[in-house]
Amino acid sequence: MISKSIAEAVLACAMSGGADFAELYGEITRNNSVSMVDGKIDRVTDNLISGVGIRAFLGTRTVFASTSDTSREGLMKCARAVAVAMGELKKEICVTLRERLLPNIHPAAIVPSSVDARVRADLLRAGCFAAKEYDPAISQVSGSLLGVDHTILVANTEGLYTTDRHVRTRIAISSVASAAGVNQSGSASPGAGMGLEFFDKVDPADIGREASRQAMVNLRADYCPAGTMTVAIENGFGGVIFHEACGHSLEATSVSIGASQMAGKLGQQIANPKVTAIDDGTIPGAWGSVNIDDEGTPTQRNVLIENGILKSYMIDRLGSRRMGMPMTGSGRRQGYTFEATSRMTNTFIANGPDKNEDIIASMEHGLYCRKMGGGSVNPLTGAFNFAVTEGYLVRNGKICEPVRGASLIGTGSEILQNIDMVGQNLETAQGMCGSSSGSVPTDVGQPLIRVSTITVGGR
Amino acid sequence: MKFEEMKQILVDAAERAGLTEYEIYYQMEESISAETLKDEISSFASSVGGGVCFRCIVDGKMGYASGELMTADALEELVQKAMSNARCIDSEDEVFIFAGSPAYAKLSERDVKLNDAAAVRDTALSLQRALYAQNEKVTDGTQTCALTVTTEIAMYNSHGLSLSNLVGMSGAYVNPVVRDGEEAQENFEFGEGTSYEALKELPAKGVQGALDKLGAGTIASGKYDAVFDGTQFRQFLSTFSPVFSAKNAQLGLSLLAGKEGETVAAPCVTLIDDPMREGAAMQTPFDGEGVATARRNVIEGGVLKTLLYDLTTAKKAGIASTGNGQKGSYASPVSIAPYNFSIAAGDATEEALFAAVGNGIYITECKGFHAGANAVTGDFSIESAGFMIRDGKRAEPIKSFTVAGNFFELLKQIDRLGNDVKWGIPGGFTVFGSPNVLVKGVSIAGK
Repeated sequence: MISKSIAEAVLACAMSGGADFAELYGEITRNNSVSMVDGKIDRVTDNLISGVGIRAFLGTRTVFASTSDTSREGLMKCARAVAVAMGELKKEICVTLRERLLPNIHPAAIVPSSVDARVRADLLRAGCFAAKEYDPAISQVSGSLLGVDHTILVANTEGLYTTDRHVRTRIAISSVASAAGVNQSGSASPGAGMGLEFFDKVDPADIGREASRQAMVNLRADYCPAGTMTVAIENGFGGVIFHEACGHSLEATSVSIGASQMAGKLGQQIANPKVTAIDDGTIPGAWGSVNIDDEGTPTQRNVLIENGILKSYMIDRLGSRRMGMPMTGSGRRQGYTFEATSRMTNTFIANGPDKNEDIIASMEHGLYCRKMGGGSVNPLTGAFNFAVTEGYLVRNGKICEPVRGASLIGTGSEILQNIDMVGQNLETAQGMCGSSSGSVPTDVGQPLIRVSTITVGGR
Repeated sequence: MKFEEMKQILVDAAERAGLTEYEIYYQMEESISAETLKDEISSFASSVGGGVCFRCIVDGKMGYASGELMTADALEELVQKAMSNARCIDSEDEVFIFAGSPAYAKLSERDVKLNDAAAVRDTALSLQRALYAQNEKVTDGTQTCALTVTTEIAMYNSHGLSLSNLVGMSGAYVNPVVRDGEEAQENFEFGEGTSYEALKELPAKGVQGALDKLGAGTIASGKYDAVFDGTQFRQFLSTFSPVFSAKNAQLGLSLLAGKEGETVAAPCVTLIDDPMREGAAMQTPFDGEGVATARRNVIEGGVLKTLLYDLTTAKKAGIASTGNGQKGSYASPVSIAPYNFSIAAGDATEEALFAAVGNGIYITECKGFHAGANAVTGDFSIESAGFMIRDGKRAEPIKSFTVAGNFFELLKQIDRLGNDVKWGIPGGFTVFGSPNVLVKGVSIAGK
């Protein structure tokens, strides 16, 4: 993509404003998407993203510039912009790079962009048709199949010159069920850090049926009552609770500037002793996995909370400088126009001591959240919200009628203490996480958990 | 590579491929931003980048391909890719490369240019210092970001239609953090302007907003009369704007389908889309298909007057496009979206709205719309914070409650409107605005 000698010249130029460190990030990304609505393929697109971002540090001050002009002149112009913004121009220093390649533990057998769009269209059709056929009340189905082939180059003045390639595939299907002027929806959108061989494991028709099943459940659901309740949250995307309520507050982005409720709490009991939580970017083929982060640091398995005690933060290069703590392979960015910052990869609550059936049986009156939507958090106050996309009332230890339109709100520190039962069916699910460095793929996950008390928004 | 040079390569490749209907859409964005932490610039960034989209009609189907690599080879590959993508389409919707509108709105006298780097830094630094000077409770974690951005659009198609536009915006946001004992709160304020002088009201407003949140209590679940601040109600417009898309209506994904001419909101509600709004940063004379845009009342006196159309949906409905076929970025396919989209102001001052409520709540913060609201069903359940209204006056702060309901019912429940439209931050060519809105009997879940 960018030769070692050009990278050396560019970094030398970027350092000439008096920086103590400089980094070059290059990206070539092929996005291929097929989408379908109303039983017809209506959009097929190809997009090639190509550009570089150059960043320099002086202590904890940073200067960043990006350009889509990847000619030698374009790169040098970008590097000069960095140098000029950093300080007075001095003599250029000499930068020597050594190439390093790590083993790829997330190989892709069938790169989506190399396969005719018709093949991808057929996979999507199978999913959308199955969704439509699920029930006569299913009035509309839309879907998309996205393939991403993302190659990065990272070079820095510590001598690193390396590349990595991540391929990922995702199918998303949304179903709408209609009756008497009311619409209800359901969706399913699994993905993996793999190529189209993902569909050897996952049948698109099952995805379509799952989306329609949820829409049909919601069609017969009444509004969820509002108030404070005991809540059981199912595995898979239920893990968004930890992602929002706690994960973001453990990112150096907010911790390093004191803008997180979790700052200064290492070694403290911040959660119920049944809670152990992990961020692991090394799981082979997982949606949130990468071999190296976007700063060139190999990813690792970070135990964030062990038996309720805060063990680690997620730390990028700038965070590491600010906090005086080692990097954790957590520096991520959507692409060349963003500066990397600390982000999650595959983040989940580990299996706990409780049997799943005991969790439901323990609830006299409450809410069972089978599927969760997304959510958001303010890391400073810990206030979070997330949406329940499939929920049921629980009475006397039994799951009863479905309810719709619920959301859960609270603060991270409270809910971590209130997770008082942790089950044993850990599963993960895929999401796109948005933050200051753009949108990155992350897995969330957990087994079935019980939260003793939380505010349920409904009406 | 300049647009003209790139255009020529694509036109030649298209002609060689035997294409007769095609379009080239180019977008280039430049930006500078400076962020502060404590009393210094912690991060400075500049970027220049963009790309080109080629689309063409093959056997009645539209194919797209786009990229940022401006080499002759890469550009020629776009033509091949777009053609092969067109062949995969089985939608029977009629598609168009547009010959042009009779006339396009003139941009008002504006001086669109990138603010210079020194001014961006000075603005950020001065605002940051002013934040700390407001109050001793302002603490570390407080940030300011000043930015400037310009976007150039150029399009050319096989009918010879050639259009261009340059838009830009400079401004800053302040994000003060205040601490009182164990409790921390923050606030976010954005303003448009190229210098500290133009933005000097932000620090006081920002810090006061954060201080006001300290010591917030909770409220009991129930029905309350509520004033939504315009900054929050516009988020409802943004979240539910897809229901005004004719495409969603035609696909059965909008509950407004077939409701043109019917009452869909309270009589005080008029909803306007104004692409060339005076004073707006985003003034857009043509859409992503080259169709002239125009100001429209989407809802007038509570009655739905029109949905928003692009060429394909308009043809299906047997009417003319409303010029709302936008491209969110150069790479995006055409999709329907509004421009400067707002509820028209009413006549009530803030005090008058509080007085009309008597006892109720004032909602100043709503979060998590991407998850807690669903444009297909209209349902929402949203994390909120704000203030009690007691005896017609704003009283103590409240937090940790949700506001739940249905957008289509909410529109009908609007009782009175404030006298000032509060505009948000543009995203692409779209920006939402709303006055303060009084709604009776809102469902609240609290303690």
